[in-house]
Amino acid sequence: MTSLGLLCLMAQRNLWRNTHRTLLTTGTIALGLALLLISLGLGSGGDRQMLDGAVRLMGAHVAIEARGYDATRSLDRTISAADIPAMVSVLNGHGFGTPAVLPRLYASGLASSADGSSGVSIIGIDQDAEAPVSAIDDHIVAGSYLGTSATNSAVIGFGVARKLALSPGSKFVLMAQGPGSGDIQSVLLRVMGITRTDVDDLDQTAIFLPLATAQSLTGLEGRVHQAAIVLGDVEQSGPAADALRGRAMPDVDILTWQQLMPSQRDLIRVNVAGRVLVDVAFFLIIAFLVLNTLLMSVVERRREFALLDAVGVTPRRRFLLVLIEGAWVATFAVVAGAGLGFAGHLYFKHVGLPLRLLSSSAMSAAGAAIDPVLYSALAPSQLFGTAALVFLLTVVLALIPSWKAATDADAHLLR
Amino acid sequence: MTDTDTELLRIENVTRDYRQGDQTVHALRNVSFTAARGEFIAIAGPSGSGKTTLLNLCAGLDHPTEGTVRLAGRDLSTMSRQQLADMRLREVGFIFQAYNLIPVLSAEENAEFILLLQGVPFAERRRRVRALLHEVGLEGMESRRPGQLSGGQQQRVAVARAIAAEPRLVLADEPTANLDTDTALALLKIMDRLNREHHCTFIFSTHDPRVMNRAHRIVHMVDGRIESDERHDEAAP
Repeated sequence: MTSLGLLCLMAQRNLWRNTHRTLLTTGTIALGLALLLISLGLGSGGDRQMLDGAVRLMGAHVAIEARGYDATRSLDRTISAADIPAMVSVLNGHGFGTPAVLPRLYASGLASSADGSSGVSIIGIDQDAEAPVSAIDDHIVAGSYLGTSATNSAVIGFGVARKLALSPGSKFVLMAQGPGSGDIQSVLLRVMGITRTDVDDLDQTAIFLPLATAQSLTGLEGRVHQAAIVLGDVEQSGPAADALRGRAMPDVDILTWQQLMPSQRDLIRVNVAGRVLVDVAFFLIIAFLVLNTLLMSVVERRREFALLDAVGVTPRRRFLLVLIEGAWVATFAVVAGAGLGFAGHLYFKHVGLPLRLLSSSAMSAAGAAIDPVLYSALAPSQLFGTAALVFLLTVVLALIPSWKAATDADAHLLR
Repeated sequence: MTDTDTELLRIENVTRDYRQGDQTVHALRNVSFTAARGEFIAIAGPSGSGKTTLLNLCAGLDHPTEGTVRLAGRDLSTMSRQQLADMRLREVGFIFQAYNLIPVLSAEENAEFILLLQGVPFAERRRRVRALLHEVGLEGMESRRPGQLSGGQQQRVAVARAIAAEPRLVLADEPTANLDTDTALALLKIMDRLNREHHCTFIFSTHDPRVMNRAHRIVHMVDGRIESDERHDEAAP
């Protein structure tokens, strides 16, 4: 055994000399870390679910649009629907799985029924391509989703249906102005279904039409405003956008979800900032508890440190002894806390936390419906990063009692 | 000049004052004292006479208010805490009234503690410590922790720890105060034998006449001053 080995042995035995104190300190850190990981997992999971919900309600992870469309929403800034497969081909076979590519056309219009008129947002979609990834059909409260062969039919928002007193099977006239000439076209549509997403923008104004019907109504045959791309994982958005940008495509913009859905982006930023504040407060509380316990243990052992000084244990070695004790505590606590936290994360990942416990009404945020059950999502970097941070914090805190042990050796305590 | 005549410790005009509230306590007043290698010295005197303070100064655990303490020619007041601890590790052994063993280490680990910090190789360390524990009558108790040993046994472990590294100076503060007469005398015999065999200087404080009589030299202290310094050619058997 070397002198370092001796210090390690002494440190380990010192910890178990006062089992209660060691377990209390270790338990405090472990529990703190576990709660931190669970809260981190649920927070990240919530953000991810909100984002996923927004993507599934007419959002996208990445989108290809005509240059300037996002800023101007100008009807004539379109891309050719026929060019889209070639544009996104760069994503195939590069680790992005099989992304869903959804051509969409957007316009404003006026919907009229026997009971009145209402300004509406027209959304032309490829119903077959949208079906596997869109949540619109999940929110149909009356009637059904657009069928494959549907032409002059529409799915309308709950608010539109109420204003125009429409129900599945009812007919209404939709008018829209095409680009350029300014001619107003109209089409008679049958209500196929009514959707209620709890997102006001969609419920109050949206009318979903088959893409061909929307193109015909607006005079934009063969054109779309957006090729929305939905990936398997939101984390792939950046690399996918980079891959698309790497392919020379003139007169198009490649937008990521942060640009497409700025309110979700800002909400997530606020959430992250809030979590950081809570985490810092949490860290500080744990830090003071741990520091208090470590300091108490050193104050109670002043006689022991005086003895070690008397028999020739240098201040450096006494410092190291207490630091090793701190490192042992940190190791036990971090292993236990990370294990406990990860178990909690797994539980909430599979079972989820029902938000109904907090609120009985449906919730939405930043234009996206919030899933009533919150599922944890904890990235390995969050797990290991937080565990490493807690370990480091504990060891750094142990520097204070270590310094005290190194400098506070009072020979008068020895008889 | 023999080994015994070689000066190991020199204390010159040492004064040590403490502040206690508004009052100044004069623990040592202008004390001068030397010890040669291989001496077996008792510092005698009543409680509060300054014995412990003198021993602490000898080891650099405390600093004089005035005067100098030299160990093996080095002025202790010029050394850092790190250097002093290192010096104690290599030159000084300590025996305390309350034994002061390290509670988390076994008898053998306590005895080899200093050797381990000095970096003595395992085999050499084990050989020396086993022999010492045998010498002080603790064979078979190597793995016991201090809590599993009697007071006399703990003090014998402390003696083994103090001399295991063959320091030049062993300081013992009332080493027999907590022991019964038989155990105290047995311990003194061990210390005496180790002093003769290992030629290390023993300085121990006591106010027990039975213990004083074992010493070759008795330094009497009263009120922080050395009152007398007597040599005994023949110590009591």
